Amino acid sequence: MSTAVKEPSMADKGLKGGSLGLVAVIVIGVASTAPGYSLAAGIGGIASDVGEKAPFIMLFAFVPMGCIAAAFYYLNKADPDCGTNFTWGVRAFGPRAGWISGWGCIVADLVIMPNLAGISGQYLVLLFSEKAASNIYLTTTIGITFIIGMCWICWKGIELSAKSQVLLLGTELLVLGVFAIVAIVKAFNGVTKTVTNADGVQTVYNSMKPSLSWLSPSGVTSSAIIAGLVVAVFAYWGWDTCVSVNEEAEDSSRTPGIAAVLSTFILLGIYLLTSYGTVALLGPAFVADNSDDAIYAAGNVALPTVFVKLLIIAVLTSAAASCQTTILPATRTMLSMGAHGAAPKILARIDRKRLTPDFSTWLFGVISILWYLALVLVSHNTETDAYSASIAAVGMAIAVYYGVSGLSCVWYYRRFLFKSVKNLVLIGLLPLFGGSVLIFVFIKTVIDAADADYAPGTLFGVGTVLVIGTLLLAVGVPLMIWCNLKFPGFFAFRPDPVDKVPDPYGEQTLAAPLGTYTKSSPRGQEVDHGR
Amino acid sequence: MAGEIVVGVGPDHSGEDAARYGAQLAGLFGAGVVLVFGYDQSALGPRGGPLEEQLEEIAAEIAAEVVAILAVEHPTIEVRVELVRDRPADSLLRVAESIEAEMIVVGHGGGGPIRAALLGSTTYELVHRGSIPIVVVPAKE
Repeated sequence: MSTAVKEPSMADKGLKGGSLGLVAVIVIGVASTAPGYSLAAGIGGIASDVGEKAPFIMLFAFVPMGCIAAAFYYLNKADPDCGTNFTWGVRAFGPRAGWISGWGCIVADLVIMPNLAGISGQYLVLLFSEKAASNIYLTTTIGITFIIGMCWICWKGIELSAKSQVLLLGTELLVLGVFAIVAIVKAFNGVTKTVTNADGVQTVYNSMKPSLSWLSPSGVTSSAIIAGLVVAVFAYWGWDTCVSVNEEAEDSSRTPGIAAVLSTFILLGIYLLTSYGTVALLGPAFVADNSDDAIYAAGNVALPTVFVKLLIIAVLTSAAASCQTTILPATRTMLSMGAHGAAPKILARIDRKRLTPDFSTWLFGVISILWYLALVLVSHNTETDAYSASIAAVGMAIAVYYGVSGLSCVWYYRRFLFKSVKNLVLIGLLPLFGGSVLIFVFIKTVIDAADADYAPGTLFGVGTVLVIGTLLLAVGVPLMIWCNLKFPGFFAFRPDPVDKVPDPYGEQTLAAPLGTYTKSSPRGQEVDHGR
Repeated sequence: MAGEIVVGVGPDHSGEDAARYGAQLAGLFGAGVVLVFGYDQSALGPRGGPLEEQLEEIAAEIAAEVVAILAVEHPTIEVRVELVRDRPADSLLRVAESIEAEMIVVGHGGGGPIRAALLGSTTYELVHRGSIPIVVVPAKE
């Protein structure tokens, strides 16, 4: 008998076969950004912050996110770890910064879950009856079922085939496009709608003629721009990770670049078109007043019933895709933190039959449901709209951990910044700009949101956005101290020494494994042996 | 014929019967058996690092179990293992092509046609994309 067990050769590792072609990379990038859901959830808040300038905000928010994608791309070359910003934060700034950055990512994912569940519940009910959509018990039950269902899908490792994904995304984009174009045409012809509320007060909404001036920031205060921006960064969340991290494709030297450019154009195009259409149809006030289901409300005015149903289905499939791209990064960050010894080991446990992190997935699901119920209670029993607030709060969490990632890239690769103009721009200036803008947006939002007048409402006398945005981030500090006491090994890690950082354009771009550089051997084990 | 027969093995143990059958065929043909374990994680989130390292460990353990079964039941057959970081169907086709295998033997995953259309099925994909004979071993009752 002769049994030869062959390990995969280095050439096999990390190399994808023909599965991830150009179309697939674009579809993954666009689908995980979930334009239908992002619009349904975000356009109300954006319209109430900046009015008819929503298209400008949608365009402008892309800039820092695109810059951060460059940071992700280069950091991924040194360490393609499923913990992304957590691992990179450790390498650039040390274990504590990395830990908080990882926590920021988990918090952002956690905060958005109630919105995903809420929107899915609401739009699913809207598909059958408009009246029932105001039944909070019904929508909440559906929302919880939705979270459990999506966790189950992630745990089972079920994935749609490439063809199904293309079909779903194609339908979503087509329906959104038709809706936007019809809305714009109707707005040019003039539309009026009179709404009578429960108290008998009448509000008249008039359409606005779309104008190119909506693409310029003139006449908007900087506070309003920041408020809109914190919502709009959320609309691009997911795009950057997918195009920069999933870079293995047929022709890996060219495909990622082309895929990134094409998916950017698709996203910018659909966001511009739909934000123009939604805002123009009955004016920004109508969108802001219907922020819970803005796309549905506007769709009802613009489209015949059959198309409205399609629009609802587009938002629903988009929310489901978005839910997957929320659960997967969160649980993989948890897995990475567990595996590197920064958090309990059980987070890194993998189900042997399904090959997915089971404990992390269900832990994330349970916490999401509890957080969802808490928000439902708050929204139902107080004046504040905790849903709208959490969209802005998630923007804050994104701003923190993306900001840290941008700065990590610049600091980590500081030795190579001045090696070429290309390095200076792509590894230095863009990530620095994106990171600084996002950190600035975060700080400004903290200051502005402390004001009790900050939309949408207050909790404990402080703006709800600030409470949700900073409360969960702040919970990370005692958690980190607990982990520090429990797992001192990880907290003895040191950032990679500057001369040990590999050239991102060198032959070997991979850095030494995380944990090579520690307090006792800050320059790595091999060097110590050599002495 | 002295080529090799590629057998697909996976985490659900569906590959064990396929491996047994593949080894029987290998005995008849005087061929060797290559067990291919393809494992992949959804591209909808970041991959790499500890996630793939752990998957590789699990894949190696499961493949070793199958190797042990064959060592007992078909001690004369030469068996080797290839772990591939890719979708199972792509892994099987790629390995088969690179070693010019005689055929690919897989188990039946148990899904119906609707499931296969929506989620894809390794067996369906192999049958339609393969350029060499594909043998599908049905699941035992």
